[in-house]
Amino acid sequence: MITKNKIDDYIERIPPAPKALKETLMFLNMGELTKAAKVAETDLALKTYLKNIVNKPIYGFRNEVSEISQIFGILGVAGSKQTVYNYMITLLSPKKWVLFKLNASGFHSLQDYLSIQWQKILTHLNIKDVDIQNAITLLPASIIITEALFNEKIQEVKLLRSVKSLDYNTILQRLCHVDLFDICEQIAQKWEMPNKISEILQASSGIKPSHDATINELGKWMHLLLFYELSKPQIIEAGLNDFIDFQIEYVEDIYEEFSTIIGIEK
Amino acid sequence: MRATVKDNIAVFTPQGFLDGNSSAAFLSIEDIQATAALKVNMVLVSLKKVIFFNPNGLEAFIKMFKKVRIANHAIVGFCDYDKKKFHTINKFYKDELTFSLYETYEIASLFTSSFKDNSKTVLLYNEDKSQRSAMAIELHDNGHNPIIAVNENDFLEKSSHPTAYDFIIKDSYIGQMGQKIATRVAGNAIIYTIKSFLDVDLGTTFNIDYHNNSLNVGFKLFIFDAYKVVGMNVHALNFFSRLASSAAEYNATICFVGYTFEKTPIAFKETMEDSGMMFFNQMDDILQDKELLLELGGGGTSVVNKRQLNKIIVSELPRFIDATVLIIEMMTNSTAVKKSVQIHDIEVLDKKDKIAGSIGFYGEIDGMIILVFPKGIAKKACELLIGEGIDDEDLILDSLSELVNIIGGKVKSLLADKGISVNITLPRTYSPIDSLIEMSARRKGVQVDLTFNGDKFLFFLTR
Repeated sequence: MITKNKIDDYIERIPPAPKALKETLMFLNMGELTKAAKVAETDLALKTYLKNIVNKPIYGFRNEVSEISQIFGILGVAGSKQTVYNYMITLLSPKKWVLFKLNASGFHSLQDYLSIQWQKILTHLNIKDVDIQNAITLLPASIIITEALFNEKIQEVKLLRSVKSLDYNTILQRLCHVDLFDICEQIAQKWEMPNKISEILQASSGIKPSHDATINELGKWMHLLLFYELSKPQIIEAGLNDFIDFQIEYVEDIYEEFSTIIGIEK
Repeated sequence: MRATVKDNIAVFTPQGFLDGNSSAAFLSIEDIQATAALKVNMVLVSLKKVIFFNPNGLEAFIKMFKKVRIANHAIVGFCDYDKKKFHTINKFYKDELTFSLYETYEIASLFTSSFKDNSKTVLLYNEDKSQRSAMAIELHDNGHNPIIAVNENDFLEKSSHPTAYDFIIKDSYIGQMGQKIATRVAGNAIIYTIKSFLDVDLGTTFNIDYHNNSLNVGFKLFIFDAYKVVGMNVHALNFFSRLASSAAEYNATICFVGYTFEKTPIAFKETMEDSGMMFFNQMDDILQDKELLLELGGGGTSVVNKRQLNKIIVSELPRFIDATVLIIEMMTNSTAVKKSVQIHDIEVLDKKDKIAGSIGFYGEIDGMIILVFPKGIAKKACELLIGEGIDDEDLILDSLSELVNIIGGKVKSLLADKGISVNITLPRTYSPIDSLIEMSARRKGVQVDLTFNGDKFLFFLTR
């Protein structure tokens, strides 16, 4: 159904991060917001993405923000980097979603909600590490990879899942001995994202706890946050609720704290 | 979201948070209609992967339960919860629990029937006496051996010897039970438990697919446990007459045990006897009489199957083979190769260490697909379903039945593409394969030797 060769081929076809993006990130790493904005202006797609994103109600800005320097100024270094990374992930997304009933706007919304809620969690945990803040951006790549690998196998997967409740990650793991999170890690390496991002992401799979206690704890929060977002009506309708397996035991000890931060009514 | 169906039980497994917003999104109108149309005995919603739920979150599922019950009388309820979730649901619904609650999927499955001849010893406790009795009756009707603890102390004492029981049930609840007729397998006989007044509803409460499948896979003796039957009307009589006709086609026998005919016209009995049905006072009159069992077909003796392969089955053979090859390839990521095709009786040279699975299909055409694997190869073919490094034979057999079910599903869709409509029966597995060989003896069929990754297995298509 899915072979290791197909996965290798998929990773092979992912282009390196565009030059303008790399430079934007480089300046953001140096804290040079103005220089970063100047470079970002040269990438029209990135410019449009940034303008569309920050003017969404979820960001809560009263007036329309149109200048990239203004956008980076409002978001700060960490927020700007996170948004640029989110943009990089969208470069992977398909023109037309087939397996999941998603579209560009739905996918962007999921990215936005994950980023904003992740920030709430990190504020609660008093974590200011920029790489940890950016770790959330890689998580939605797992959805894009699932779409890319399984979109030609919808009928087979449907048949398989009609008799056995198997998630895509398990199917991939059992067939190819590689899972979605390993593929995300390979993409992160290709795009030279910091290692910490991949480590947290691997822990957030819920099936590969990290030996590093801090990374493992962050993995739990990310796993639970993912399933909070995957329980939203539009995401369930897109067919994403069970694309990976929810490891309830892994997150049980942080659930009460999570529900307080997110504001879940009991 | 669609349910996963196995052993006549449909299970939904939502994940994460169930509230008023998400709940409705899990079940579209089409999902509910598809569930209601399933010919299953039980519809469950597993709460294993749900970390939070509130009453609004359960609402859509409870509405679905109601529709399913109206449509096909199946048992409905939640399963796979811990003590906390059990108490929360009880608190939400207090005395208005119309659905059932089962601690685990396995416990739920005790309350319905499958082909497995596995009567279990079950320790049972519920503080409500009527619940205790209802559960015990249902378990008994499904062929299990319930042991009731009469109070908390009795339960603690009895449960201190957990190895004495296959299952311990404490935090479960029986809501409106399914009206499906309980079925169990005793040796080579199938026993159906019927009760109260039998009327036109028999057509929906009796699982005709299960019955046809049983006939098709070689069961010859069907016993209706009718101790609790008050009477029947002409619709029920017609139903049994139709059943007797199909049984005659397979040389099978239908018996009734414990039916008094006190409130039924005696002419009904004569009609049924004329159709070949037999009546006994006690179950043991049949089950303990080995000679009679043999005579009735419950000894497992095979008789000549008069149904021959026909032109249409043979002309559709490529579709059956394609379905098998496609599924094996999907499951193993390898190329399956057809080696030889021959028409003869099933021929397995060495029966040792072989296991098999079969699935029947019926509708515009009918027949049965049989797959015979060496044990190690079956394990490889099922690795996607079962995971690596599993040697438990029960699990392998379980996965093999899922595999043949998937193949059956593929056959159904490939035939549908050609405008041929069929339904598939429940899958059945055999280990050892003697009973399969006995059942298929002198049944002509198409035998195809197939390999994947150099590993050989056998495909057999017969009627």
